[in-house]
Amino acid sequence: MAVGKRKIECPLYAEGTAVSEEDIKTRKVTHYEDHPDIRYSWTAGQAISRFLNGLKEGKILGVKCDGCKRIMVPPRMFCELCYKPIDGWVELKDTGTILTYSISYIDPDARPLPKPIVVALIQIDGASQNMAIMHLIGEIEPEKVYVGMRVKAVWKPENEREGSVTDIKYWKPLEG
Amino acid sequence: MEVEVIKGLKFQKKQDVAIVGAGMTSFKRRLNETGRELNYYAVRQALEEAGLTIDDVEIVVLGSAPDAFDGVHMKEEYLSDGAGGFDRPYMRYFVGGGTAVFAPIAGYFHVASGLADVCLVVCEEKMSSCHPHPQSAFKYIWDFFLDRPLKPNLIWIFALEMRRYMHVNNVKHEDIALVSVKNKANALDHPCSHVAEKITVEDVLNSEPMALPVRRLDVSPPSDGAAALVMVAAHKARHLTDEPVWVTGVGWSLDTTWWTNRDLYYPRYAAESAKMAYKMAHITDPRKQIDVVEPYDPFDYKELHHLEGLGFAKKGEAPILTKEGVTQRDGDLPVCPSGGLLGVGNPISAAMGVKACEIYWQLSYRAGKRQVAKEVSTGLCQAWGDLMQISTVMIMSNKR
Amino acid sequence: MIEKITDPEKLRHWGGKIELYWVYTSGKAGDLFFKKLKADGKFLAAKCKKCCWIYFPPRIYCPKDFSETEYLEVSGEGRVRAFTVARLDPYEKELKKPEIYALIDIDGTNGSIIHLLGEVNAEEVSIGMRVKPVLKPKEQMLGDLTDILYFKPI
Repeated sequence: MAVGKRKIECPLYAEGTAVSEEDIKTRKVTHYEDHPDIRYSWTAGQAISRFLNGLKEGKILGVKCDGCKRIMVPPRMFCELCYKPIDGWVELKDTGTILTYSISYIDPDARPLPKPIVVALIQIDGASQNMAIMHLIGEIEPEKVYVGMRVKAVWKPENEREGSVTDIKYWKPLEG
Repeated sequence: MEVEVIKGLKFQKKQDVAIVGAGMTSFKRRLNETGRELNYYAVRQALEEAGLTIDDVEIVVLGSAPDAFDGVHMKEEYLSDGAGGFDRPYMRYFVGGGTAVFAPIAGYFHVASGLADVCLVVCEEKMSSCHPHPQSAFKYIWDFFLDRPLKPNLIWIFALEMRRYMHVNNVKHEDIALVSVKNKANALDHPCSHVAEKITVEDVLNSEPMALPVRRLDVSPPSDGAAALVMVAAHKARHLTDEPVWVTGVGWSLDTTWWTNRDLYYPRYAAESAKMAYKMAHITDPRKQIDVVEPYDPFDYKELHHLEGLGFAKKGEAPILTKEGVTQRDGDLPVCPSGGLLGVGNPISAAMGVKACEIYWQLSYRAGKRQVAKEVSTGLCQAWGDLMQISTVMIMSNKR
Repeated sequence: MIEKITDPEKLRHWGGKIELYWVYTSGKAGDLFFKKLKADGKFLAAKCKKCCWIYFPPRIYCPKDFSETEYLEVSGEGRVRAFTVARLDPYEKELKKPEIYALIDIDGTNGSIIHLLGEVNAEEVSIGMRVKPVLKPKEQMLGDLTDILYFKPI
């Protein structure tokens, strides 16, 4: 049927039967529900293990590459630009600058949070430009956060740290 | 035989590739049909438009995003029979959201290389199977040590990127919201649309906050759907139609996966992928040489971000095009005339239906009420995906 | 060379679970099939209008030549084509009573399904054995495959 100039409108049909959440709940539409129990154990590898161990000691660790002269965080065992092993570890400061931020009203399953939280990309002092990590911002009204704001890590007490990014509770505005 | 080189790439091809048929299903939040049945609907339409039967198909490309949505592991195997995938070479391609244009790119390889003369490209997504919410599946693309303990929602990365784009280029939310207003209105003319509506900038700015600056109406909805394309060699196209649409360029590029180490205000990956496609299609000034564009628009700011990356506007200037009406269907550079993901719906890879299929329909003057006002000869579609670092581009023309 | 962590205690790992679940709709043909089973205790198959191949469970299309199908009723009885005796559950724990799973060719169709065999001992099962479905009491039916409890020898 495709030969020749024709004035047809495409798509030719709009097929598909929409069903609602209600249709599922009331079993108006037959369906099958499955809850598989799949468990994983994720290994952190060399670089992130050392980074997490550093957090437990209250330090933020980065790595340096002598090829591109970058100081990188999060740390990695090889420089993805120079494609060679990194040249050493560097202790960075626990202060930084907000590159961008968001005020989140939803949790990972898109359910509303009891109270909105602020999440930001924080460029860590001592690392190269744009070397940021994602973390939470606290001790400030969400509306008062701005790009370029200076912040400092608020650590958990030493005995509560477990070698996780949550060993930093959040980042708070740096005074002065 | 053409030979050109970009970063060492040689664009040799054995034969020219034309698109002669396309099809898609309705995009809806939840469809009763199984993924196989959705594929069947889309494929049957594409074959009907092409004037071919399933027996004419020599090779099949399937595009589909993470298995976690459909809840079927190795879903290419499950989906194969609705895609015409058995008893012939069949392969799944997957680059996250970028699959919407990467699947047709893969179809292009198969024909341009001379391996096959008739290739069927099928994309499917059934996001509604995933519970408690399709977004829950995205929990598992985050880094398990650096990101997951913070309990992130995927929207966060887009919100962070949007804020950075707004900050560096001094763009206001109301300028970005115009994209959502335009695309949702365009979708009113699309028979398959999911969330088409007439809205205002105020509606967007007052909609429910998700992760500010992102609000409900800045985002495309998760959808179920499927789409299909028939790609054939030049000598086949001649027999099938007087209105083939030729694939003149393809490109794709990936940025680093250390996403917190990139400056998010500009999509370098989009610029690199466009560079490759432009070189192949002999395009030096996209704004003048390309008539209609379908950039990936899962969020309103992404349309602007991508237009800048693809070289249709200088950095920070895409909102001006939108404001001046240039990107409307009757404008000088229609953008997302289909209604895009924001208006028609976002079934990840099946978004091919509003990207590659739409450009094909626009260039063959079959888009009906959605047909753009100006005369068109060249169009571009683009998709974007993975952890927001891949861009895939295809350029088509109704002139060989 | 950069110094590496060698103490396994210092190498970190994290255990987690994929906390997702899925709700699968039976689809257009599947929905008709299960609704018919639930309402009338009857079985549907579908015949390709072109090649006359009869699919069980039914489909809306023939995957071979992409033409449409038409529904027809079948008895649900069939023959065992192959079977296996499961002694372990999915977590490799021993089952109290071994379960027999069979691939059953359904009469009057070109299709087959996998289901449990009941009211029979593993030693008595043979290939080619005639079986028929045993359904749940109507009020307990949900509209899924478990509405068939098992197949028993005729």
